[in-house]
Amino acid sequence: MEEPRIGVYICWCGTNIAKMVDVEAVASEVSSMPHVVLAKNYKYMCSDPGQELIIKDIKVHNLNRVIVAACSPRIHELTFRTACEKAGINPYLFEMANIREQDSWVHTDRSEATKKAIDLVIAAIRRVRFHEALEKRSVSVNPATLVIGGGIAGMTASLEIAASGKQVYLVEKADHLGGMVAQLDLTFPHLSSAQQIIHPLIQRVKNNPNIKVFLNTQIQQVHGYIGNFNTTILQNGNESVEIEFGNIIAAVGLKPFDPVVIPEYGYKKIPDVVTSVEFEQMLLSGLIQTSEGKDPRNVAIIHCVGSRNKKFHEYCSRVCCMTALKYVHQIRAALPDANIFEVYADMRAYGKGHEEFYAHTTHKQIIFLMFDQQTGLPRIRKAGAADKCNIIIEMDELLSGISIEVPVDMVVLMTNMEAHDDVKEVVRSIGVSLCGNQFFIEKHPKLDPVATTTGGVYIVGGCQGPKDIPDSVSQARAAAARILATIAQESVPVEVTTAQVNELLCCGCQTCVRVCPYSAVSYDESKKSSVVNEVLCKGCGTCGAACPAGAIKCKHFTDSQILAEIEGIMSLSYKY
Amino acid sequence: MDKEQTAAKPKLKLAVYWGAACGGCCVSVLDTHEKLLDIVAAADPVFWPIAMDIKYKDVENMPDKSIDLTLFNGAIRNSENLHMAKVLRNKTKILVAYGACAYMGGIPGLANFSDKEAIFRRVYDESESTNNPEKIHPQREVKVKEGTIEMPQFFNDVYTLNHVVDVDYFIPGCPPQSERLVEVFSAIVTGAQLPPPGSVVGANDKTNCDECKRKKTDNKLVKKFFRPWEIQDDKETCFLEQGVICMGPATRSGCGVRCVVGNSPCRGCYGPPPGVTDPGAKMMSAIGTMIDANKPEEIDEIIETIVDPAGLFYRFSLPGSILGRKVQ
Repeated sequence: MEEPRIGVYICWCGTNIAKMVDVEAVASEVSSMPHVVLAKNYKYMCSDPGQELIIKDIKVHNLNRVIVAACSPRIHELTFRTACEKAGINPYLFEMANIREQDSWVHTDRSEATKKAIDLVIAAIRRVRFHEALEKRSVSVNPATLVIGGGIAGMTASLEIAASGKQVYLVEKADHLGGMVAQLDLTFPHLSSAQQIIHPLIQRVKNNPNIKVFLNTQIQQVHGYIGNFNTTILQNGNESVEIEFGNIIAAVGLKPFDPVVIPEYGYKKIPDVVTSVEFEQMLLSGLIQTSEGKDPRNVAIIHCVGSRNKKFHEYCSRVCCMTALKYVHQIRAALPDANIFEVYADMRAYGKGHEEFYAHTTHKQIIFLMFDQQTGLPRIRKAGAADKCNIIIEMDELLSGISIEVPVDMVVLMTNMEAHDDVKEVVRSIGVSLCGNQFFIEKHPKLDPVATTTGGVYIVGGCQGPKDIPDSVSQARAAAARILATIAQESVPVEVTTAQVNELLCCGCQTCVRVCPYSAVSYDESKKSSVVNEVLCKGCGTCGAACPAGAIKCKHFTDSQILAEIEGIMSLSYKY
Repeated sequence: MDKEQTAAKPKLKLAVYWGAACGGCCVSVLDTHEKLLDIVAAADPVFWPIAMDIKYKDVENMPDKSIDLTLFNGAIRNSENLHMAKVLRNKTKILVAYGACAYMGGIPGLANFSDKEAIFRRVYDESESTNNPEKIHPQREVKVKEGTIEMPQFFNDVYTLNHVVDVDYFIPGCPPQSERLVEVFSAIVTGAQLPPPGSVVGANDKTNCDECKRKKTDNKLVKKFFRPWEIQDDKETCFLEQGVICMGPATRSGCGVRCVVGNSPCRGCYGPPPGVTDPGAKMMSAIGTMIDANKPEEIDEIIETIVDPAGLFYRFSLPGSILGRKVQ
């Protein structure tokens, strides 16, 4: 190993770090450590002058290792790696110490925070000595794309990609395209027709020569890696078709929650208690009528059915509040004299034009009744023969503080949106993960919301979390743009910090094979050794941790690097 | 060994010493059988408490670096072990940590899961066979009419040889296989190119599974861990796949997988392969991947079936591992 020559830079981040960490003290404390050539502090290391400072020092002082103590590496690691590369040293000879999110932002004692910053920087100094130069790699990209799900998100993404002349395979498990939007009458907040949105889209997809649509089709296990996937799809349950593609968009959407499991609401037991999905069908047919064929004089709309309640789903379905308000307009238009009750727990009007829509709807002569979603669900019962209504809702009205009974003829349950039953099979076949709510997990919730941790696999629309039409369409176009960019490049960079098996040490116990979430590790019978497919490998490190023989090395996270970092941060030595 | 070659050279001076040891390592030297004759033809034992009568004072009076090779077995448990480790380091050209105890702490090293006070309490006060109403504990010094008798100091911790002096080579095993000793000894006698100081010798780089003849697959999922006597071993399938914890995958080969050949799981006496600093932690990570459950409570239930995990995973390696000892 060449003699390390380390440059250390402590960032003020304006006052973000400097107000809680004595940046000068940190720099002077570490400046005398072995191999540290210089230690400086600067107001904004990520700024152009900050980066220039590093580049100049690398050249002037012949540095071969660089440490920046600043924010999270998630934010600026790439910035500084690129600066190192510009100055001619391998980007992996850089290390970042997070003294903002993990230090200045979370502490209130300046001297303790300064000590912690010193520990974090010492850890980085100890670690960076063991860093090795790693070479970038790339693979070619098949320009075809597999889109799973023929709802509005899947169709929009397909059209966007097909517009560039590239092949799209659009797979839909139902016998028709359109997804949830095809089941809606009007959309919120502009009350425009969902059918007029979705039908032209379906026609454009069907007529596009670059889009091959497979209806009644299920995908099987997808093999390969970014740029080079293949699978067999099963159409109509028996005809199998082999396809090859470079990228995947999962747009499998969501399904409505079944409220039959909420005993208070009596769904499927009490006539005229309907779900929002069933009510949309009524609206599409143009007739709002009770099961007895009469116009309802009193209609209640109950919010948050299956949502925001740990017994069912803890999350908010996002679209139901506005849909419920939309119903007010449609009921008022159809039945001008009806009494309308919005039975809600919280009114959520977060989107563009939503608050205005809410304010506008309140002028439609309706009654808002509030309940406690956690402890006081309304209770629905069938009215008695003497009552002048079909149904009675008992509830503890939260704003007035009194228990009331609401006589109605029809109840609309605003059902939550939840994952499809077969979602686990889908994620397994394309190699992505689900969160606790069974939504597909994005690569980064803020900075990379349509990608996943599996290269070449994107997630759009409801399957990533409940969302309305504009959000689904935005995601679809975003994912299409990401994919078109990789197609245009003709090749994509693949993970550099992969795992590697030392065949001279591998004993063939095969502990590593099954632990790999990306199917990148296999056992080679002829070599009597495990092997890692470095294109599939995402560098998660699971196999390296599991390998009892120390034969798997995870590049950039080697045992010597991690132990040096730990020793640095603990400032301890386990030698006598 | 070539007689002419050994005759042409002056005979080596050999020492074999025991620290905190059971005697098995010294016996393993004798277990070279007829090869022992070759060893004594090539080397004169100058200090070997199990085999010859010589006092510490005689060793202390030897000139520095006058012993060519010392096989130091046993861990450093008390001040006597430490003193002799230092003396032998000064008197010896090539100091070898011989066997699991000198190398990693070995079985005596398990005492690091306890401490001096607790050990004394158990041994001198509480054990079922103890009858010590006056609570007499060992003293450093006892005055008798002839003078003062000194006892070695019992340390709170057990150390490896390398913790207290610089070691040239490590020969693992509990005890080391005698064949391996003969190989290493021959290499030293013949002046063959020796590996860099600090190396493990008399063992291979790959772990035991490489030599093990049992059938292995990637399916190692288990719902329960068993002790060897709890299963009917089919004598063919990987012990781990039968739910019996075998240290084979985390243990350097060189012994000839003798325990597994004898239908007993590997206990890990040969220590970790190159680059691994903590075989117990490595093995626990591997075992973690075998647990066939997803719910935390199910996982806990399966882990509960591992009897004495600390003693199992660190049976020979505690003082020399990153863990080192139980935190006090």
